[in-house]
Amino acid sequence: MTTSTAPIAARTASAGTLKRALALPALLFLVIFLFPFIAGPHYVILMFSAMGYAIALLGLNLLFGYTGLLSLGHAMFLAIGAYTAGYMTSTRITNFELILLVAVAIGATVAVPIGLLCIRYVKIYFAMLTLAFSMLLYSFLFKFYHLTGGDEGIRIKVPTLTAWDLSGLDTLSVLTGPLYYYVFALLVLLTALMRCLTGSSLGLQLRAIRENQQKAEYLGVNVKRYRLVAFVIAAVYGVLGGVIIAIPVGLADPTIAYWVQSGNLIFMLLLGGYTNFLGPLLGAVVFIFFQDQLMSFTEYWRLTFGVILVMIVIFFPNGLMAAVDRGRWWST
Amino acid sequence: MTLLQAQNVRKLYGGFCALDDVTLTINDGEHVSIIGPNGAGKTTLVNVLTGLVRPTAGNVTFKGYNVVNLGAVRLARLGMARSFQLVNIFPELSVGETIAVAAISHLRHGERFFSSTARNRPVWEIVERVGAIFGFSGKLDQPAKILSQGDKKLLDVASAFALSPEIILLDEPTSGVSTADKSTIMRVLVQAARQMGIKAIIQIEHDMDIVFGYSNRIIAVHNGRILADGSPASIRARADVMATIVGRQYDHA
Amino acid sequence: MLASANILVGGVFHAAVLFLVAAGLQIVFGVQKIVNLACGSFYALGAYFGISALAWAAAFEVPAIAYIPILVGSGLLLAIVLGPSVERLLRLIYDRDEHFQILLTFALVLIFEDAIRLIWGAVPLQTINVYFAFGELRIASDLAIPNYNLIVIAAAALISAAFGWMLRRTRFGRIVRATAENKQMSEALCVDVSKVYMAVFTLGVALGTVGGALVVPAGAASIDMGVELIVDAFAVVIIGGLGSMPGALIGALIVGFVRSAAIWLYPEFELLAIYVIVITVLIVRPQGLLARTA
Repeated sequence: MTTSTAPIAARTASAGTLKRALALPALLFLVIFLFPFIAGPHYVILMFSAMGYAIALLGLNLLFGYTGLLSLGHAMFLAIGAYTAGYMTSTRITNFELILLVAVAIGATVAVPIGLLCIRYVKIYFAMLTLAFSMLLYSFLFKFYHLTGGDEGIRIKVPTLTAWDLSGLDTLSVLTGPLYYYVFALLVLLTALMRCLTGSSLGLQLRAIRENQQKAEYLGVNVKRYRLVAFVIAAVYGVLGGVIIAIPVGLADPTIAYWVQSGNLIFMLLLGGYTNFLGPLLGAVVFIFFQDQLMSFTEYWRLTFGVILVMIVIFFPNGLMAAVDRGRWWST
Repeated sequence: MTLLQAQNVRKLYGGFCALDDVTLTINDGEHVSIIGPNGAGKTTLVNVLTGLVRPTAGNVTFKGYNVVNLGAVRLARLGMARSFQLVNIFPELSVGETIAVAAISHLRHGERFFSSTARNRPVWEIVERVGAIFGFSGKLDQPAKILSQGDKKLLDVASAFALSPEIILLDEPTSGVSTADKSTIMRVLVQAARQMGIKAIIQIEHDMDIVFGYSNRIIAVHNGRILADGSPASIRARADVMATIVGRQYDHA
Repeated sequence: MLASANILVGGVFHAAVLFLVAAGLQIVFGVQKIVNLACGSFYALGAYFGISALAWAAAFEVPAIAYIPILVGSGLLLAIVLGPSVERLLRLIYDRDEHFQILLTFALVLIFEDAIRLIWGAVPLQTINVYFAFGELRIASDLAIPNYNLIVIAAAALISAAFGWMLRRTRFGRIVRATAENKQMSEALCVDVSKVYMAVFTLGVALGTVGGALVVPAGAASIDMGVELIVDAFAVVIIGGLGSMPGALIGALIVGFVRSAAIWLYPEFELLAIYVIVITVLIVRPQGLLARTA
C-alpha cells in the first residue's frame, strides 16, 4: 500500500529505503523545476497545466485512493476554481494569491453541504450523486447566460503576483517564468501537506473506513466526519487545481464541469496509480503530455485513451507507479 | 455495578420472532457465555446489545445510555467493543495498523491531522503490547488479508481489545481456531482482559469445555428466549437446558 | 391547452424511450451488478445505425409502414453483434471492485464516441421524412400530434410488455431472475451462468439500441446524445431505484414529464429541474422510490 505507518523500530532500520523512497519524487520535482530551461514554451505551458491537474488529483487521491469514494463529479470543483479566476480577473482584484484564497473559500463552502449529503452513501450511489451535482453545476453555468456567460464562458486574464512585478512581461513570459515557479512552489507545498495528512491519524482512519466501514465504526472511527473532511480537502485541492489549469487556457467555460472531465481525472489518477502517493503527479504529467502528442497525431485520441484505460483497468489497476514500485508493495 | 441492561427486548423480522421478551443485566466482573443451538438468536442478541440492530420493542442501555441512539462510534468511546462472527478485518491494512486504529480511538488521537502516526509513541506502544498478548509480534507488518482464518479472527478480537473497553462482546472468538489452540486463546483473552482493565466479557460460544471452563455466568438462549441464566453449576444442574443445548448427558471430569 | 397537450405527449414520448434504456440498465445491474455507463453509447449507436438502415432501405423504396420494423430490427442486429463481445470484455472484471467496472464502461464511452466519429462523422445526422411519414392526429384546430410519437409510445409499451412477460412467464425469465437473486445457487442448479450473463447483457444493449433507433426520427443523431442520455437514464434509475423495473417506469415518467414541461415552460430549468428531483429523492429516500430491499 502507500508508505504505511510502521512500528518505529522497523522504520529506523530502513533509513536506506527512506532515501530511496524520496529519490523518485525528488527526481520528478527536479525535472519539473528545470523544465522551462530544457523545453520549449509550448511544453512548458503543458507542464503548467499538468501541475494544476496534479494538485487537483492529490485531493482526488485522498477521496478515492485513501477513502474509497469514487467521485464522478470532481470536475465541479475545477469549474469553481476556473470561474472564480474568471470573475476576479475581470475586476481590479487580480492577485493570484487572492484568487486562490477566494476560490478556496467558495470551494469549501460549497463542498460542505454537498459533502454532507453525498458521504451518506457509498459506491455507486456516491458516484451518481456527485455526478448529479456536477451536471447541475454544468447546466447552471450553461443556461444562465447573464450570470455565467453561458457556453461562451468568462475570459480569464493572467493574474498578478504580489511579490513580483509582472508589468512589461507578455503572457507567455509570465506563464513560463514567474507564475510557473509560483505554481511549482505551491505544488511542492501542497504535496508536502498532503503527505503530512496521509501520514497522520487521518490517513490511517480513512483507509480503515475504505477497507471496512462497519469495523471502523466499531473501533471508534467517526466515519461520517472523516469522510466529510476528506471530501472538503479534496474539494479545496480541486479548486486550487482548477484555477491553475484555467489560466493558460484563458477561459472558464461550462465544459470544465462536464462529467466526462471528471472521468478524465479518474483516468489520470488510475494511470499514475492511486495506491501510491506520487501517482497523482505522475498521472497528470503523463496524461497531459501524452494527450498533447496524441492529439497532434490523430483526431481519434479518445479511442486511444479508451483502449488504454481498458488495459489499465484490466491489467494494471495500480497504474504506472506500481510498475515502478514493484518490490515495495508492502512497504515499510 | 450495572454496565449493560436489556429490558423486554423483542426483535421481529417480518413474521419471524428472533428475540422474545429478553431481559438481562450485565455487571462488573462477569464473564458471560451465551450458549444455544444455531438460530436461537444469540447473534441477534449481541447485535441488539451493541446497537447494530434496533429492537422492535424494549430497550438496551449501556451505562445508562440508550444503545440505539448512540451508534457504534459513540459506543466505542463510551467503552463498548465487539468482535464479529464472520471475519471482519481491514484487508489492506497491516496487523499493526489495524490495532493502531483502535489505539488511536482509545487515546483520542483521531484528530491529530498534522502529526505523523508512525512517530506516535503511545499508539505503537499499545500496538506492540496488544500484538504481543495475542501472538502477533513478528507479524505486525503483514497485511491482514494474508493471515490465516484463525489469525484474522484473532486480529478482530485483538483490535477490539486494543480499545481498552469496559465491556467486550465476542462472537465465537475461537471458532476457526484449532482445538489445541482454543484454550491458549482463551487464556490469552482472559489475561488480556485482566491486564487492560476490561470489566465484563460476553462471548457467544459453542465449545462447552470453554463455556464451563472460563465463564462465571451462562445464559442459555433457545428460540429467541432466555431459557436459563446463572452460574455454570446451576446450569449444569438443569437437565432441560443440557438436553436442549448440549444434546446429551454432559460429564465434565 | 395546446401547451399541456404537447407537454403530455412529449412527456410520454420521452418517457417511453427513456424507459427502454433504463430497463436495459436495470436488468444488467440486477443480474450482473454492473452499472453500464456505456448504455448511452449503445443508444447513440442505435440511432446512427438506424439512420444508415433507413438510408439503405430508402434505396429499395420501402413503404413507410416498414420503417418501424427496420428501426427495431437494426437495433436488434447491432445488439446481437456488439453485446456478446462487450460482455466478454466486461467478464474479465466481474470479480473486481465495482469502481473498476464503472471505469471500464467509461472507457467504452470514449471508444464508442470516436467510433461514431470514425464511421459517421462528427456532424449530426437526421432521417429524412420519417417523422411525418405517418401523418398526424388532429385533436383540435391548432393542435396536431405526429402519429410517429404515438407509434413509438405504442412500440415501447409493447416491447416493455413483452419484456415483462418474458421475465415472469418464460423459463428463461425465471432463470434470469434466479441468477439475479443468487448466482451460486443458479450455478449449483446447472444453469450456465455465463450464457445467462451474455444473454442478459445483450438484452440490455438491445433495449438501448432499439431506443436510440426509435427516437432518431424525432430528432437527430449527434455525438452528444449518448452522453446526455446517460445523465437522464441515471436520473430515472436513481428515482425509481436500482434494480426495480416498476421503479424505472415511474422514474421514466417523472423525468420525461419534467423534461417536457421544462422545454415548454422554463427552458433554462430543464436539466436543473431533473437534478433537483434526483437530489431530493436521494435525500429523502436514498434507495429510490420503489427499489427492492436488497
